[in-house]
Amino acid sequence: MPWAKGEEFLELKQRFEGLEVEEKPTITTLHVPKGKLIELLKALKEEKGYKLFIDHSVVDFPDRKPRFQAFYILYKVEERKRVVVKTWTDGVLPSIEKLWFAGKWAERECYDMFGIQYEGHENLVRAFMWETYQHYPLRKDFPLEGYATEYLPSLNEVLWGENLQGLMNYDKMHTPVPTLEDLEITEKRRLQKKAQIVLNWGPLHPGTHGTMWFLFDLEGERVYQCDVILGQLHRGVEKLAENEMYNQFLVYTDRMDYLSALCSNQAWVVAIERLLGIEDLVPEKAKYIRTMMSELQRINSHLLWLGTYALDLGALTIFLYAFKEREKLMDIIEGITGARLTISYPRIGGVRMDLPEGAIEVIRAFIKRFPKELKEWETILSRNRIWLRRNIGVGIISKEDVYFYGLTGPVARGSGVPYDLRKVEPYDAYGWVEFDVPVGENGDVYDRYLVRLEEMRQSLRIVEQCLNALEKMPKNAPFFAESPDPKKLKLPLDGIGLKVQEGEIYSSGENPRGELGFYVYSTGGVKPYRVKIRPGSMYNLCIYPKLMKDRVIADAVTILASLDPVVGEIDR
Amino acid sequence: MEGVVAWLVITLIKILVILGIVLGIGAYLTLVERKVAAHIQRRPGPMVVGWHGLLQPLADGLKLLTKEDLFPRYGNRFLYNLALVMALVPATLVFAVVPFGPEFEVFGIKVKPILTDVNIGLLLVFALGSMAVFAIALAGWASNSKYALIGSMRKAGIVVSYEVVITFAVMGPIILAGTLSTYDIVQKQIEQKLWYLWLQPIAFVVYMFAMLAETGRVPFDIQEAEAELVTGFTVEYGGMKFGLFPLVEWYIEVLSLSAIAVVLFLGGWSPINIPFLGFVDPLFFLGPLSPFVWFILKVSLLFLFVLWLHWTLPRYRIDQVTETAWKVMLPLTLVNLVLTAVVAPLIWR
Repeated sequence: MPWAKGEEFLELKQRFEGLEVEEKPTITTLHVPKGKLIELLKALKEEKGYKLFIDHSVVDFPDRKPRFQAFYILYKVEERKRVVVKTWTDGVLPSIEKLWFAGKWAERECYDMFGIQYEGHENLVRAFMWETYQHYPLRKDFPLEGYATEYLPSLNEVLWGENLQGLMNYDKMHTPVPTLEDLEITEKRRLQKKAQIVLNWGPLHPGTHGTMWFLFDLEGERVYQCDVILGQLHRGVEKLAENEMYNQFLVYTDRMDYLSALCSNQAWVVAIERLLGIEDLVPEKAKYIRTMMSELQRINSHLLWLGTYALDLGALTIFLYAFKEREKLMDIIEGITGARLTISYPRIGGVRMDLPEGAIEVIRAFIKRFPKELKEWETILSRNRIWLRRNIGVGIISKEDVYFYGLTGPVARGSGVPYDLRKVEPYDAYGWVEFDVPVGENGDVYDRYLVRLEEMRQSLRIVEQCLNALEKMPKNAPFFAESPDPKKLKLPLDGIGLKVQEGEIYSSGENPRGELGFYVYSTGGVKPYRVKIRPGSMYNLCIYPKLMKDRVIADAVTILASLDPVVGEIDR
Repeated sequence: MEGVVAWLVITLIKILVILGIVLGIGAYLTLVERKVAAHIQRRPGPMVVGWHGLLQPLADGLKLLTKEDLFPRYGNRFLYNLALVMALVPATLVFAVVPFGPEFEVFGIKVKPILTDVNIGLLLVFALGSMAVFAIALAGWASNSKYALIGSMRKAGIVVSYEVVITFAVMGPIILAGTLSTYDIVQKQIEQKLWYLWLQPIAFVVYMFAMLAETGRVPFDIQEAEAELVTGFTVEYGGMKFGLFPLVEWYIEVLSLSAIAVVLFLGGWSPINIPFLGFVDPLFFLGPLSPFVWFILKVSLLFLFVLWLHWTLPRYRIDQVTETAWKVMLPLTLVNLVLTAVVAPLIWR
């Protein structure tokens, strides 16, 4: 567990009155009064080296006074240590946007979901819900069925009032536009800036890879400024998590980052296993299977990225090449798990079922063939002059930006930050297999492209080692953990009735799109009290407006595709 | 009087033949493109309608024709429709000066397989080529859409840059031939026993790239750029109106410019050339048909080359496209022009 040790903060304890250090095997927490919060965070960032912003949110305790417990998760990349800073508040917090830009987006989300006011926040508007919505969905007193009278205004209704007839009556004919108010406000602000054209890029646009909404202020082809409107796909996954059993929530992790369902599943089950303290009880075979499957899923996800990325840059053929290989992978995954997209194969304590007959041979055939294909694509793209001109020097992210914007995954590694959770906090079989972490030098789009290609090769290496290990195991080796003590902990395959003791944990997995973290707060029982999901895509996307400044529209697709966000995970 | 009637009849037949061939082939080239693309991408392509999808263009045409005719709100209907005419007419008119073969005799009447052998043929070609920009600018403007507008402005930028380049590129062959008439340029190449490709490789390469840019083919297809602009200036067109733009841009214009390239650099209808020595004709057994076959063969080769690039390369960015035109291609053509002026007297003899 890469948690910071308590003695490290003794010196800080003298400087900050009221600072308490709490050390548990699953988490290390610094409790600090609200007034000292910013100072402490600043000291941690600048003096202690906890530079990488991971996540921020609050936990709601309606019976307590003050009501909200806010937490900030920080990471020190060089020494592989993580720490959580906590404070209590009644609804007002100082903003950390000067320290970490990513905090700005996290705070917007918190304001949206809990109604926390942030002092000094530049643009405190709702992240996902619309601006006229009065309620805060993640508060514990928000009714599960919602408010039936709350009504989402549609775009045409606002513009035309009651004069709409027939098909033009948007209210009757179309789904309403969720973030209309956001749009209106930003457009009003825009008009003062006298940009020539405001281009609506999305929500449904082939270049956005999902229902994301961008607004570009154009001067000719140059993007003068860029704005992102989220919330088109918001489903309230975190609220769902609070009201589902631990194993039932597994199927929602599929639907967040739907391109890497197995990796999300794995991150969730590992988090719960760690919280239960049964990580060592999970049989070796299950660990190898889970690792292998997520690596196959990673290749699958990167293949989709490669295909669409090339498509965005006009290389239409690579798209079909990549999808052909992806189809084979999908067939393999379908043969093993029975599903292609939303898989839910791992379980807390192991996997749902053993590998079927012949699975190993099929995967072996695939990993034998795949490097050749990969090499062929590289011949077409990697040294292509047009490809180089479109990629090199575009969307440069420096190392400092990685920390400031809380970037993770291939985006961080493309900028030379070797932050890979499979290495820094090995889960499942990652500690037992050999692989390298590719990093880029310049942090431009081209480096991220190369990093992802190399990651596919490394994934193949991992899969091969897993296969070797699995082949040596006896056929009837267990793939699901035995309950350690039947009276204390019931560990059924379907997960019903799985009780988790009191406690909290932040655990994360390396998704193809960055760190997918779960902050789970349990008060005991079959359901979690609060689950905060740290979506890698969302924080990766938050650097997009900065990268787009003074670029042309053609770079918009390049940069966006190189960040590779999935909206299901951003909006949750 | 008789001569005038005969001339009228012959001209009318020529017009009908050329129009029929151009528009018919234009439609069928969609199938060719889809098949070529499919095989590059390791898939069979259209296979359902007819044998190996041979009737696919008809099915597509029928589908496009029967679609609802949409018109964007607040658009300019007159300009919107005018753009279609402006796109189709100049592109087809270019074929008026394309010589398909040598002069031949039917019933004692000498017929040149070219609609009008005007002595400023090439000037006409590039004048008509410049007209394309009107169509696209009008289409973009009349659609009342930002995507269409951006797409059309990109295209206008490209056409303006590459018209200059292409004009300078064709200067070389014109100097060597000493005439602007397309028919005479081919004749000169046959007389001098020299395809101008051998002396004008730079001009040929530049011409090919400029052709890709003018016709909006990859790597210069930034005016449609599906990923960022959806389809650029055609985004508000529907049905057959939408089908017309790619038909004109991707097929008719590519065909006409390939034909001009064949005329200028590849000796028109002449068979394989050994510089300064003569011609070798492996297709001699076709007799009088051989020149026509050669011409068609060369044009198809160039067309396939364009398709090959289209389905392989990524696309440039707008600033890189214009940069290439002004900073690389234009100086190259100027150098080429000077070199040609030095070499030309040797060729004239």
